[in-house]
Amino acid sequence: MGRKTTLEDNLMSIFITYGALITPLGNTTVENFNRMLKGDSGVSIIKDSGFNNEDWPLGMIKSIQDENRYNKLLSDLCHQLIKEHGKGLFEDEKTLVVVSSTKADINALPNDTFASTRKILNDQLGLKNKIIIISNACISGVLAINTAVDYLHTDKYDNVVVIGIDALSDFIVYGFQSLFALSNEPSKPFDKERKGICIGEAAGCVIVSKKRLNDSYAVNYLGGSSSNDANHISGPSRTGEGLFRSINKTLERSKVGKAEIDFISAHGTGTNYNDEMESIAFDRLGLNEVPLNSLKGYFGHTLGAAGVIEVISSMKMMEHNIVLKSIGFEEQGTSKRINVLKANLEQPTNIILKTASGFGGGNASLILKSVL
Amino acid sequence: MKLVASCKISNQGVFLNSKLVPNTKSTETNWKKELYTKTGVTYPKFYKMDALAKLAFLSYSYLDKALKTESYADNDIALLFANAASSKTTDLKYIESYKEKGSPSPSLFVYTLPNILTGELSILNKWYGENVFFIEEKFDPEFYLEQINFYFSKGAKGVLAGWVESNDTNEECFLFFVENNGNELTIEELTNLYKS
Repeated sequence: MGRKTTLEDNLMSIFITYGALITPLGNTTVENFNRMLKGDSGVSIIKDSGFNNEDWPLGMIKSIQDENRYNKLLSDLCHQLIKEHGKGLFEDEKTLVVVSSTKADINALPNDTFASTRKILNDQLGLKNKIIIISNACISGVLAINTAVDYLHTDKYDNVVVIGIDALSDFIVYGFQSLFALSNEPSKPFDKERKGICIGEAAGCVIVSKKRLNDSYAVNYLGGSSSNDANHISGPSRTGEGLFRSINKTLERSKVGKAEIDFISAHGTGTNYNDEMESIAFDRLGLNEVPLNSLKGYFGHTLGAAGVIEVISSMKMMEHNIVLKSIGFEEQGTSKRINVLKANLEQPTNIILKTASGFGGGNASLILKSVL
Repeated sequence: MKLVASCKISNQGVFLNSKLVPNTKSTETNWKKELYTKTGVTYPKFYKMDALAKLAFLSYSYLDKALKTESYADNDIALLFANAASSKTTDLKYIESYKEKGSPSPSLFVYTLPNILTGELSILNKWYGENVFFIEEKFDPEFYLEQINFYFSKGAKGVLAGWVESNDTNEECFLFFVENNGNELTIEELTNLYKS
């Protein structure tokens, strides 16, 4: 057991640095951000991807040809991690790995769908500690970062490697199709004409540490939380209650005032109900004027990867003091007005709020601050 | 942290605070439905739930009798859940719906996430606290105690923790509720409660 945390521990600085990033837009963090700056989208029409052979727009990583997309993606991420950081960090006894994934290697059924996650990471990274896996729908990525920080408040670990990953599968595409939640054109989060979700796939990694790891860009983690809607298992709350409560808790824990937030990286799936719910929660908090985007238009909705890859992208925005536009957004489409960006906005971006909401009524949020 | 109560259910019966509740052992394959009628609880949503959510609901229905959760504010109870097989039972049924039965079933698909059960418990109790669902190879008492301490350090007053498993060979749910005061619950005590 780690010792109990104290107030002093809670005031300890926590640093987050770039790990690795593989998405439909590129195979490194830099490549991804350069394409995002240009307004490129990784979403494209995939022939016969639907249950009745519909051609759905999806965020597919075209370079992955393997039948087992998940295992290949995770393996590629490990290669990139070792290339960029060496093996020492991962083999250290004071390094923990926390994985966020909703369905992992779903094609392994009826065998264990999470077995390959443990095997690939242990084999390729030479880990010394038990891998922690979070599977909590679309808020998994934000929860994984919050959990990483919890572990750093014990004396057992110095670094926590957080990996968010999910791959495209018939299982997921057919499922969202059956819910009539898919959009037949690239998704338009928060827009008046939004039609639904485009599913995507990605793997991302951030390294959460007690000390600044190296000279590369870093942010401080100020606080995070989760809250359940206690309302419906697959429909968002009509009052945004869980998201409202989670953001309030996160503000309190971060000791940050609403006026200090420079940018909100929202969840914004592109469905009617979700985006409406988020606008209500932000409105209740008086965050209407804060520049906001959804990154689902760039990658598609990558489920368990989403929280992590959106934090990486947000860190890039903080590093370069620019907030990227919300691809697909043209006209306000929620009952409460919020400041969804139609064009990239250059501005000092020091403190950001990241939110996520998902099935099971879950909501999670965290606040980051640029290390100057 | 103080243990308030625990409850483990399987077809071997309901063990509330390690004691077998009379007449709860069953040889029926449909033992969960049988147990639902024995709880005396009326909650029609039960019939819509998947195996994991049913297990959690049933176990909670018994545990609830030994708790006084009304004294907590609606933000103060955190949920900590884990299992090994994720939503395997429902995943396989859902795959069957589109591979063999003609079309993907939306009602099965929404349950192909293990954390749906934490949503069900939150709805049942109107709890807005923190939730998390982990995938662990086996029930690890040390892991639970560590995670519970994280929740308490962040301000939770009570934690409802659970191990809920549904796979080919095993259906079980072990729930326990702890408060942020009193004697330390030990790994040994938690191990023994789970084995009961």
